[in-house]
Amino acid sequence: MDSKKSNKKAWLYLAPAIILLAIFSFYPLLNTFRMAFLNGYNGMEVVGGEKFTIGIQNFKTVVGNVDFKQYLKNTILLCVITVPISTTLALLIAVALNSIKAVQKVFQTVFFLPYVTNSIAIGMVFNAMFTQVRVGSLVQTYGIINNIIGVFGIEPINFVNSGSTWGANMFVVCFYIVWHALPFKILVLLGGLQNVNKQYYDAAKIDGTSKTRTFFKITVPLVSPMLAYVIITSFIGGFKEYSSIVGIFGETMGPAGSSGQMNTIVGYVYNMLPKSNLGNASAASLILFAIILVVTAINGYVSKKKVHY
Amino acid sequence: MKKIIAFVLSVVMLGMCAALSGCKTAGDGKVTVVFYHTMGANLKAVLEKYIAEFNKIYPDIVIDQQSIGGYDDVRDQVITEIQAGKQPALTYCYPDHVATYLRSRKVIDLNTYINDPEVGLTAEQIADFIPGYYKEGTQFGDESKMYTLPFSKSTEVMYYNKTFFEQNGLQVPDHWFPNGENDVTSLDYVIKKIKEIEPTSVPLGYDSEANWFITLTEQLKTPYTVATENVDDRFVFVNDDNMAFCDKIREWYNAKLMTTQAIYKAYTSGLFTNTSPNEDGVVIHSYISIGSSAGATYQCPSALDDGSYPFEVGIAQIPQADANNQKVISQGPSVCMLKQKDQAVNDAAWLFLKFLLTSSEFQAEFSMTSGYVPVLRSAFELPAYKEFLSDAGYTKDGIAALSAQICMEQENNYFTSPAFVGSSDARDQVGELLVAYITAEGVSREALKQLFVDAYNRCVSLNK
Amino acid sequence: MTEAKKIKAGSGALNVDASKKAQKTAKIVRLVITYLFLAVMAVIIIFPFYWMIISSLKTIEEYRENVPTLWPRNIVFENFRTAFEKANLIDLFLHTLYVGVVSTVLSLIVTVLSAFAFARLNFKGKGLVFGLLMATMMVPGELYTITNYLTVSGSLPFLSEPISALDITNTFAVLIVPMLVSVYYIYLLRQTFMQIPNELYLAAKVDGTSDFKYLWKVMLPLSVSTVITITILKMMGAWNSYIWPRLVANDDAHKLITNGLRGASFATENGDTNYPAQMAAVFIVSIPLFLVFVFLRKYIMKGVSRSGIKG
Repeated sequence: MDSKKSNKKAWLYLAPAIILLAIFSFYPLLNTFRMAFLNGYNGMEVVGGEKFTIGIQNFKTVVGNVDFKQYLKNTILLCVITVPISTTLALLIAVALNSIKAVQKVFQTVFFLPYVTNSIAIGMVFNAMFTQVRVGSLVQTYGIINNIIGVFGIEPINFVNSGSTWGANMFVVCFYIVWHALPFKILVLLGGLQNVNKQYYDAAKIDGTSKTRTFFKITVPLVSPMLAYVIITSFIGGFKEYSSIVGIFGETMGPAGSSGQMNTIVGYVYNMLPKSNLGNASAASLILFAIILVVTAINGYVSKKKVHY
Repeated sequence: MKKIIAFVLSVVMLGMCAALSGCKTAGDGKVTVVFYHTMGANLKAVLEKYIAEFNKIYPDIVIDQQSIGGYDDVRDQVITEIQAGKQPALTYCYPDHVATYLRSRKVIDLNTYINDPEVGLTAEQIADFIPGYYKEGTQFGDESKMYTLPFSKSTEVMYYNKTFFEQNGLQVPDHWFPNGENDVTSLDYVIKKIKEIEPTSVPLGYDSEANWFITLTEQLKTPYTVATENVDDRFVFVNDDNMAFCDKIREWYNAKLMTTQAIYKAYTSGLFTNTSPNEDGVVIHSYISIGSSAGATYQCPSALDDGSYPFEVGIAQIPQADANNQKVISQGPSVCMLKQKDQAVNDAAWLFLKFLLTSSEFQAEFSMTSGYVPVLRSAFELPAYKEFLSDAGYTKDGIAALSAQICMEQENNYFTSPAFVGSSDARDQVGELLVAYITAEGVSREALKQLFVDAYNRCVSLNK
Repeated sequence: MTEAKKIKAGSGALNVDASKKAQKTAKIVRLVITYLFLAVMAVIIIFPFYWMIISSLKTIEEYRENVPTLWPRNIVFENFRTAFEKANLIDLFLHTLYVGVVSTVLSLIVTVLSAFAFARLNFKGKGLVFGLLMATMMVPGELYTITNYLTVSGSLPFLSEPISALDITNTFAVLIVPMLVSVYYIYLLRQTFMQIPNELYLAAKVDGTSDFKYLWKVMLPLSVSTVITITILKMMGAWNSYIWPRLVANDDAHKLITNGLRGASFATENGDTNYPAQMAAVFIVSIPLFLVFVFLRKYIMKGVSRSGIKG
């Protein structure tokens, strides 16, 4: 078969996907660039017949926003904290699951559960668990989580109520994100482990290699492609974090009195939409896009060096 | 090869078919008016009833009424639809929503209809609106333009535990801050007294922090916002006078004399009607609760098993700062009209709006169902509404009527703050500010001042 | 020096027994720790679900109590009735099912074709196109929403007035078509396809089997688990989608389940939320997903875990 014909055929196969993507992904992407570089672009004013000049004013406005640094910090920290924790925990759980026989299936099912949930709905449940019911400045009841940690002699913490610190909020959000991220990672890593050739372990056993050593020298390298995969996808997901925080704090993105304290860049984009402030929203989206591109590139570079195929 | 082409084509066709089948049929001489609101099932039923009445007169006008979640949902939906050129003809709105819509030049100046000799409003019809409410439609910078009509209204009222007040010989407070010692009608005196009588209580619960802040600026005539061209000059709430009343509230909070909705994390009516003990077996109560007049039934405790009530609820106007400048906030939805491609739809929408808002029967029925108050004076004169009011009482059965009465009595005290792009940010920020200000622990004067400056910076930042 | 090496270093017949015993004890300890760890994690995972369920069984009064009860004092099923009544759940279920099934079928067709092209066919610009597709995964979806909304409303670039004939809002099509292509599914299926040995393909070529026939007869049957995974994920997507449907199809004739639930249906006239009823509704809505997961876990495991294997 000559390559021309082959080319044509391939494009035919791809046609439905490409056409749909062109209309519903690439065109909006281009449109975002256009809106980002038109100064003060506002959907309402477009309808009103306003004209806009080309420039980078939107980017200046976004970066100049008093809270933008905070949003950026939250976005980055959420990634940097939750990705390693959830990946490590998922790996440990996957290894543990892989090493047992009895009730393995039951555990697997349990660990899948968060996968099938709506993040906003369950976020509300998390809020309920961490909330202290307070009356004025008197605490009426500390919330179920505080009751639980109280058993271990830990003083009650103000996790999500008004006056709660950024750190406490961060803890709750991270806890929830890790909880929600576990099933997918466990799934992928367990799949990887089950595909690992038993011979490697048998060899290690014969050599008398310790379990810890086996873990780091055999298990980790063998599942490294899956590790790379879950790390990249969760970084991308992490930078777009929004609905978990909405679930916990509502659209104020923070406890009462410090709303926006936990806001992220995506949250900022959503804040701009009700004002039909599409210029700023687009500029912020592009900034986020750029960050994700850079991080993914670094991730790709590192995994090329470290991952064993 | 052919198969593939056929296959790909069929996929595309399928998509097209699905798309085409969805196209709406137009024609048949009827005009459809879309109306967005936030009504629940009960209110929708009332609305449907009056749409049926309307259709008896205008059978060719179809009213497509849709309930779109809450007020913010309506706003988001309308904004997006304006950008796609398919906004509803009529929609529920709050003033700051309209300020945003105005940028698209799609909001209709209702004066063009109101002053129309044929379909307009008569002088009597205009005079029937409660003036404070009617005036709100012109507060968008240009007084000659009228962009909204009031639909139904609520305000803030003060609920108090009548039984407790009578038992302890307490006076119902009518002003916030004491004039000298033993000013028994000041809120300050009363809540301290309540704390003395019952140390575990939190005497006062206030639902809306933002309302509190804004109402106090209005009562004290201190600066809050100004609708000017320059973004930097719009938010003028950073000043010592406003800090002074925040200090006072902070004192109350630190003395455990009050709480708010954001701090309590629920409507404070829950605290006012609380009967369940906490972990130490203590029932924490509030004895004064300031909240929406439309939420009156929630401020009443449920009847006990023997049919009696744990306590009776009294209602009064909220405390004031200046007896000569009495102010209470005006809330509740208004309606605005948005331009349609087909002028006939606009005209039909006006006919419906006029029908609905000049009908005292509708106003009365809507109010009795919702707890909101009518915007027409004549609604209060209807036998049905009079009967409703005559049932006014201090328990669950009569509380809504009692609340409506209080609203009617303070008819001259209503205020609204100026609406402009960003006015809702100011509202959000001062609410936040008040919570942050009173809950901040062990901070310096400068840090407190900084909270004001931060709120200002956010407002400006969000509107650049 | 590690424990195992120490044991190995110690020689002699007498030591063998002791070391075996030590090994056995170590094994048991390890097993206990493993199970303990898994159990603790499982409890953490399950707790929010437990909380959701017991909340849905409480009366609103008990839910609002200041001290949360760990188990409802009076179990009431009232909330479930309220949920069904207030949210018109039957209609919502049917709409969602329709959108879910149609979009899954169409989406699978598109996905299979593209995945095959990327996995088996050679053509100019393959790397570039694939890279471009992968890049779209990194774009925040919010970025698309507003432009797509304008598009489906018939508002095209460089036209001042929208074309109403192209307006497909408030149809089922608008809920299906823009979401048909998922780059992630294409990626997932491509990975699976690439694991099928190339020799099979070349052999088929020699036999004169057409590409399409090969795809249909060989590749798809070998990738059944991934196809099922995609089916489930897509159905779940329909079940959980919120922002887009709310925007483009908010009329009663097309409303989907999450929108129906999140509407003001559970708000009292005062704006207070009836949480137990809401929890009951969330619970009801989650049940089909739970069931799907319990019964089809195997396929999801296989499909999703394979996605991590680089081809």
